Amino acid sequence: MFCEKALDLIRELQRSRGASLPPFNEDTLRHVLEEMKALYEQNQQDVNDAVQGEAGLFSGVQIRHAALERNKRCILAYLQNRLKTTRDMRWEFGSVLPADVKYNLSEAEIQWFNKYNKSLANYMRSLGEDGGLDLTQDMKPPKTLYIEVRCKVDHGEFETQEGSIVLLKKNSQHFLLRSECEHLIRQGILEHIVH
Amino acid sequence: MGFINDLRKDFYDVIDHQRVLILVGFDVDALAACKILLHLFQCDHVPYTVVPVSGREDLESAYQENSEGVKYVVMLNCGGNFDVIELLQPEDKVLFYICDSHRPIDVFNAYNAVQVKMLVEEREAGDDLPEYDQVFRDDESDEDDSGNESEGSEPSGKKRRFNPEALEKRRNRRLWEEKRTNILFEYEQYSKYGKSAALTMYQMAWKMSKDTNDLLWLAILGVTDQFINFKVDRDVYMSYIDELQHHVSRHNHRGDDVESTISVNCLRITYEEELQLTLYRHWSLFESLCHSPYLACKFRVWTMKGRKKLHEFLADMGLPLVQCQQKWTAMDVNFKDEISSMILDKMEKYGFDKQYVFLPSFHASYGYKNKVCATDVVLACSSVLESIDRDASMTDSFLSALDVLTRANVEAKEKCLGLAKMQTKAIVSQVQSFLDMNQIVSAGPFLYAFIQPGTLDVKFFSKAICLQRLAHYTLEAYASVCKSKKNRALPLVLGAPLDAELGTTIIIGIPPILDESRRSFFGKAFEQAGEMTNSRMLLDSFDSHIIQIKSEDKSKFFDALIGVLQ
Repeated sequence: MFCEKALDLIRELQRSRGASLPPFNEDTLRHVLEEMKALYEQNQQDVNDAVQGEAGLFSGVQIRHAALERNKRCILAYLQNRLKTTRDMRWEFGSVLPADVKYNLSEAEIQWFNKYNKSLANYMRSLGEDGGLDLTQDMKPPKTLYIEVRCKVDHGEFETQEGSIVLLKKNSQHFLLRSECEHLIRQGILEHIVH
Repeated sequence: MGFINDLRKDFYDVIDHQRVLILVGFDVDALAACKILLHLFQCDHVPYTVVPVSGREDLESAYQENSEGVKYVVMLNCGGNFDVIELLQPEDKVLFYICDSHRPIDVFNAYNAVQVKMLVEEREAGDDLPEYDQVFRDDESDEDDSGNESEGSEPSGKKRRFNPEALEKRRNRRLWEEKRTNILFEYEQYSKYGKSAALTMYQMAWKMSKDTNDLLWLAILGVTDQFINFKVDRDVYMSYIDELQHHVSRHNHRGDDVESTISVNCLRITYEEELQLTLYRHWSLFESLCHSPYLACKFRVWTMKGRKKLHEFLADMGLPLVQCQQKWTAMDVNFKDEISSMILDKMEKYGFDKQYVFLPSFHASYGYKNKVCATDVVLACSSVLESIDRDASMTDSFLSALDVLTRANVEAKEKCLGLAKMQTKAIVSQVQSFLDMNQIVSAGPFLYAFIQPGTLDVKFFSKAICLQRLAHYTLEAYASVCKSKKNRALPLVLGAPLDAELGTTIIIGIPPILDESRRSFFGKAFEQAGEMTNSRMLLDSFDSHIIQIKSEDKSKFFDALIGVLQ
């Protein structure tokens, strides 16, 4: 049956949607490519035969050609979707991918990711007046400039942009600029209180 | 004078987006006030830092740690009744705003117009506040005089000694000082409580048109806390309730037509004559009757006879025992609806006073299943505040208590109600064992009792609010048992072991039942008794009628206390 393997790739994509990236399925991809190669060779032969005068081969050629086209579309869709997921991860996790995700990428994909990283970084550096602008920070417009945070551990003193010093001691509660304490929240030192 | 009448102009607008340090005392009123203030600060993007403080030492260290670069300090239910400047030694530019319900206000705070501002209306505080001239003298030369007196070797001092003018001056000064001591003693003799901090904060929010139903609910909790923790008397409470009721009807009034009805998920507050039965909505009616201070003491439920009488009362009302012994939520709806009127009918027969059985209060409801009344929330919140969990530090319990006040936090609230029940049960069984063992002793001018170390629930009673509830319950129960009327006029001193390793005891003194004004003279008495005997004691608490003392010094301290009070 034509195109069955290609369809498998698409199914795999569909199944893994929402979960993290599945391993790059090189086996199936190679099978599809082999199938395409076989189809192409057969078509080539039939066309040669037809040119030499044999009749009744065209419908076969046409079907094979359609199968070829379909295989191509499926493979492209597979690759394109994986790239999209990888790109979203760049915005979510930052420039260094988690080890388990990286393991699931193919060599070419890793190369693409690095290039994407570089161009994104270049672009962000060119924005704004000095030092660029981190586009990944506020993906959605923040609701408030300040947020209420609670300190989880004894962290020590922390200097704010205005130059005042806040003592981050366990169980103290503060109202600080969101941009300033976002990385502390990521590190687990502060906890954002949501009402 | 450091009193602020216009909270908005002289307090809120002054702060103007600079970082504020908020120090909060350990009681539900302070928590509610804190929540209201935080809400306002969040609206206006005023950065702040909140630090809970449990006592004077705690306050000092919290201030030292967090004061760097802070120009404004707000203190909620702490710092009003002692000289903050002396304790904290702040820099000159730091301003203190104190919103404290503890009275009397320290004269140094009241007359420090530069650094200390009291968020108290002048007419509320000013009634018995001594005049400035009576407690302070501005002429510096007098100070020098008294300083030189001791150093008689100085020639100038020698000369002046025989100078009649100077003699006259010194005499005047001595007289004035005597008078000053008397006036101060009179002023500071009774410790009592003024307006709830939460209510003050709410009024500020109201004047800024930023009050919401949620803030109003917090103000109600603050006022309720003051009443059920015996801080204000009933008249004062009623006047607050009146005031709050205006706000409640303003916020919760909706027309009858369909379009203006609000969604069930919004908070609605309703006024209600609430039965003063401890946590009955979350317990069974029977259990609640056995644990409510007034009714339990009226029936004397700890005796066989009392039990019988309670059963008789229930039968008289026509309440089947099966119904009252199951959870309130599972009770027959008809009984639930009519319970108030049933009790009201039978009240006279059993000799109850209506004002102790019914309490005008509010309840809040949102969604379909959450309906809570103010007293329940206060009890739940204070039980978390005084959590006896070994792993939880004071600040941990402060934060979880703060979370309980957030209304969306239903699960936490349910859990705390369980804790509150445990606390109430512990109180009742302790009272019972006091009575069974005859541990309440009259020392002449007052009654006293001690919780023996190693008693079952002793760790509950090392905390101030719970110990205070126990003390009031004990006094009520003792008065109901004793024949003589005299006992109703006696105050009670109660001691509980605080820390076994350090060998310290926490002691609380409460006014007699007959004294309705709920002001306590124990603060000064404890201080004097301690000074006379050189007892090693710690006046760390913001409430002066609660002290810590070394257990060995207890007996000599008590002998002195008897002397002082006689």
